[in-house]
Amino acid sequence: MKRTIVNFATATALSLAFLAPAAAFERTDAGKVIVFGGRQAIPILDPHVRYDWSTRMIQQAVYDALVKYEGDPAVIKPWLAEKWETSADGMTWTFTLAANAKFHNGDPVDAEAVRYSFERALKLNKGVAWMLKDFLDPDSIKAVDARTVQFNLKSPYAAFLSFLPWWYVVNPKEVKANEVDGDYGQKYLIDHAAGSGPFKLKRWEPNVLYEISAVKDYWKGWPQPEANRPAGVIYRIIREPAAQKAALLRGEADIVEGLTPDDYHQFKNQKGIVVEDHPGMTTFSIKFNNQVGPTADINLRKAIAYALDYEGLVKIYNGAAKLETSPFPNAIKGYVAVPGMPRQDLAKAKEFLAKSKYPDGNLTLEYYHVAGLEEARRVGLLMLDNLAKLNIKVDIKPEQWPNMVAKGSKPETSPNMTSVYVTPISTDPDAVAYQYHPNSYGQYFAMSFYKNDEVAKKIDEARRTAKWDARAKLYAEIQKQIVADQPEVFGMLPNRRWAHRDYLKGFVFSPVRFTGEADLYPFWIDAK
Amino acid sequence: MLRFTLKRAAVMLGTMIGLAALMFLITNIAPGDPARLVAGPDATNDMVETIRREYGLDKPLVEQFAIYMRDLLSGNLGRSIISTRPVLQEIGRYLPATIELVLVAMTLGVVIGIPFGVLSAVYKDRAIDQITRILSISGVALPAFWFGILLQLFFAVRLGWLPVSGRLPLTEVPPEPITHLLLVDSLLRGEFETFRAALSHIILPAIVLSFPCLASILRVNRAEMIEVLQSDYIVAARAHGISPLRIVGYYALKNAMLPTLAIIGLRFGWMLGSTVLVETVFDWPGIGLYAVSSALTSDFKPVVGVTLVIGFLFMITNTLVDLAYAWIDPRLRKA
Repeated sequence: MKRTIVNFATATALSLAFLAPAAAFERTDAGKVIVFGGRQAIPILDPHVRYDWSTRMIQQAVYDALVKYEGDPAVIKPWLAEKWETSADGMTWTFTLAANAKFHNGDPVDAEAVRYSFERALKLNKGVAWMLKDFLDPDSIKAVDARTVQFNLKSPYAAFLSFLPWWYVVNPKEVKANEVDGDYGQKYLIDHAAGSGPFKLKRWEPNVLYEISAVKDYWKGWPQPEANRPAGVIYRIIREPAAQKAALLRGEADIVEGLTPDDYHQFKNQKGIVVEDHPGMTTFSIKFNNQVGPTADINLRKAIAYALDYEGLVKIYNGAAKLETSPFPNAIKGYVAVPGMPRQDLAKAKEFLAKSKYPDGNLTLEYYHVAGLEEARRVGLLMLDNLAKLNIKVDIKPEQWPNMVAKGSKPETSPNMTSVYVTPISTDPDAVAYQYHPNSYGQYFAMSFYKNDEVAKKIDEARRTAKWDARAKLYAEIQKQIVADQPEVFGMLPNRRWAHRDYLKGFVFSPVRFTGEADLYPFWIDAK
Repeated sequence: MLRFTLKRAAVMLGTMIGLAALMFLITNIAPGDPARLVAGPDATNDMVETIRREYGLDKPLVEQFAIYMRDLLSGNLGRSIISTRPVLQEIGRYLPATIELVLVAMTLGVVIGIPFGVLSAVYKDRAIDQITRILSISGVALPAFWFGILLQLFFAVRLGWLPVSGRLPLTEVPPEPITHLLLVDSLLRGEFETFRAALSHIILPAIVLSFPCLASILRVNRAEMIEVLQSDYIVAARAHGISPLRIVGYYALKNAMLPTLAIIGLRFGWMLGSTVLVETVFDWPGIGLYAVSSALTSDFKPVVGVTLVIGFLFMITNTLVDLAYAWIDPRLRKA
C-alpha cells in the first residue's frame, strides 16, 4: 500500500512535468493509422440490421457488395460481381462473381454466400430490407453455380441495381457458426465482421472508438502504392463541433465531419488544413402539412413559397449550398430543372394569399426544426421575418428528432411546417419520387402527406418500366407536377463538408453517400 | 444503531421503487417512437412492427410496466433498443470511468476547497478572501459545457499541454483491469506511461466537474470557520497563548468540518448527475455520456437504468453521511 502511494505521488509529479502534446495521426508498429473524428456512434455493425452514415462507412470498409458507388457523379461499378445481365422483361438479374474474391478468413465469396446474405437481410426484415422486399422473395434467389447468382423479381423494378451497393455480403459459414437460437448471427455481428472488405475489424469500444486494420492481400487490390497504404483507420467519436475543431487543430484527428459552417469558412484559409466542399444530394425543404390545418390550402402554400428569401437560405450556409431547381437533387438520374420554381416575389405572394382562405394573413404557423440544428433554426428566423410581410406569424419550435418523426407520422399531428433534410439512398429517381407516394406516409420525408393520384400512378408506372427513355419522360412529368402542387418549400442542397489535415490524401467524394460518410478505401497519408 | 440502519435501508428500497416507477412513467409518456427510430428512416410500417414486437413495445403499457418491475426486482434493467445489449452490462462497462472522474474531481474539490475556505475565513475581507469569494461565485455560476470548451481551447489547442478529449490516447492499450480505474490499475501494474497518459486526459474534465463542488465546499467551510473562530473556546485558547496555527488547524477546523462533510456527501451524488454535461464535452466514456446518447435516440431503458444507478449511489452516500452523523451525535438516532 505504502509503495503504491509512493508510486502514485512520483508518477503524478513526473506526469505533470512532462505532459507532451499529441502527435498527428497515429504511428503504430504496423504503420500509420488515420483518425476520423465523427459525431455519431456505431451501436450495431450488422449490415442487414442497421445503417446510417457512420455505420455504413465502417460496413463498407469491412464488407463488399456486388457493386459499388464511386465518384461524382456517382457511378455503379462492378465489385464482387464482375458483370451482370438483365432479362428482356426486367424480371431476372444474373450476376457473375469475381473468381478471386475471398472473405477475411480465406473462404471464397461464392454465389451461395451472396444468396444467403440476401435471404438473411430479407428474412430479418430490418435495415436495408425495405429497398427490395416488395420485389424480391428470399426463395427467389438462386446460386446457379459457384460464380453465378440469379435474382428473380416478383415484378420488374428498374431501380433494383441502384440499391445493391448497400447490400453487403457476409460469410455464411462464420455467421452460422455463431448463431444463437436461430438469430441469424445477429448477436455475433453486432461487434464482429464476417466480411471480405479492404479492412478487418480490430477494436470495438462502443461510444468511444472503432478501429479497423487494412487487409494486406485484399482480393481487389489497393488504389494506393503499398508504401503509402495506411495500416488502419480509427473512427473516433467526438460529439461536440468545438471538440472536433480542437482535435483537428491539435492533430488528434486527421479528418472531421461535424464542424459548424463558420468553422469550415474559417478553415478554408488555415494552413495545413483542407476543406472538402462538394455539392451534395441532401435536400433541405420545409414540408407543409397538405391535409390538415391552414397549409392544406395550396394558395397559402404558394404565398409562403413566394415570400421566402431564397438567397437568405444560401447565406445561412455561408454560400455553401445550391438552391433546389426540382424536387429531385441534381445528381439524381432523370433530374430536370423545373421552370417556374418559386423565388422571392412579394407581389406574387400577396396575389396567392388573396386567393387563399386567409386573404389578410392574420394567422400563426408553427415551424418545427430539429433541436440543436443551428442552420434550421436560422431558416426559421428568416421565415419569421419574411412572412411578417404577409401578416403571418411563425412560431419556431425546436424538437428532438424522435419526437419530430412521431409528430410527422399522422396528418392530424404533423406540424404546419417542418424543416427536413433528406438524403436519397440511391441515384435512381425512384428513391426520391417514392417519397411523394402515399405508401410513404408515416415516414419522416412524407410528413407533408402530399396527395395527387395522378402523380402516384406515374410513380408506380415508372418503377415498373424497364426502358430508361420512357421512365425519364414520366419522371420529368412527376417533377413538374410536384412543383406545381407545392407540397413543400423547395429549399436548397447544402454542400457536404469535411475538414482534414493536408497530409491526408485520397479523399474521393461521391454524392450518394450519406452526410459525413466517406470512402476509407482510397485514403492514405503523405508524410513520414 | 441497528434499528436506525434498517430503517434507512427500508426508506432506500421504497425510494428506489418509487424512482423506477416514476422514470418508467416519464419515459413512456414522452413523445417519440423508439421502434421507428431504430427501424431507420426508410423502414416500412411492418418493419417497425417487427422491432416493436421484438422489444415488447406492442404490449399494453400496464403489462410493460409489470414486466419491467419484475425484471428490475430480479436485477435485470432490460435491453438497450439501440445497441441490443443488456443495460446492466453496458452500465458496468461505463460506470468505472464515471467513478474515476468523480473521485478525482472530488479530491480536487476537497484538497483545494478546504484550505482556501480556511484561509478565506482567517483573512476575512482581505485580498485572499476577495479572490476566494470570486472563485466560489464563479464555480457556482459558470456553465460546465462553456467552461469545458474554454479549457479545451486554451490548454489543449492554444498551449498544447493536454489532450482535447477521451480517456486514453487512441493507440494506448489500457492495463489489465483490477479496479477498472485506469489511474489505479496502471499504478498497480507498474505501467507509468499509461498512468501519465490517463492523468493528462482526466485533468481537464476533473477540473470542470470539481469547480462547483469546490465552490460549495469553500463557501460552507469559510462560513463555518468564521463562526467557529468567533466562539468563546477559541477566544479562550488564544488567551492561553496557543499558537494561531494550532487554533485554526486543529481546534477550529475540527468543529467546522462537520457541515463540510455533509456537503461533500451531497456533492458526491450531485457530481454523478453532473457528469452528463462534462462527459459529453470531453467524450468521457462514462454513464453520463451513455445516458445522453441514449436519451437523444429515445433509448429509454438505459436512461432509466442510469437514473437508478445514480439514485442508488446518491442514497448510499447520503445514508453513509447520516450514519456517520448518527454515530457522532446519538440524539439523531432517536429523531
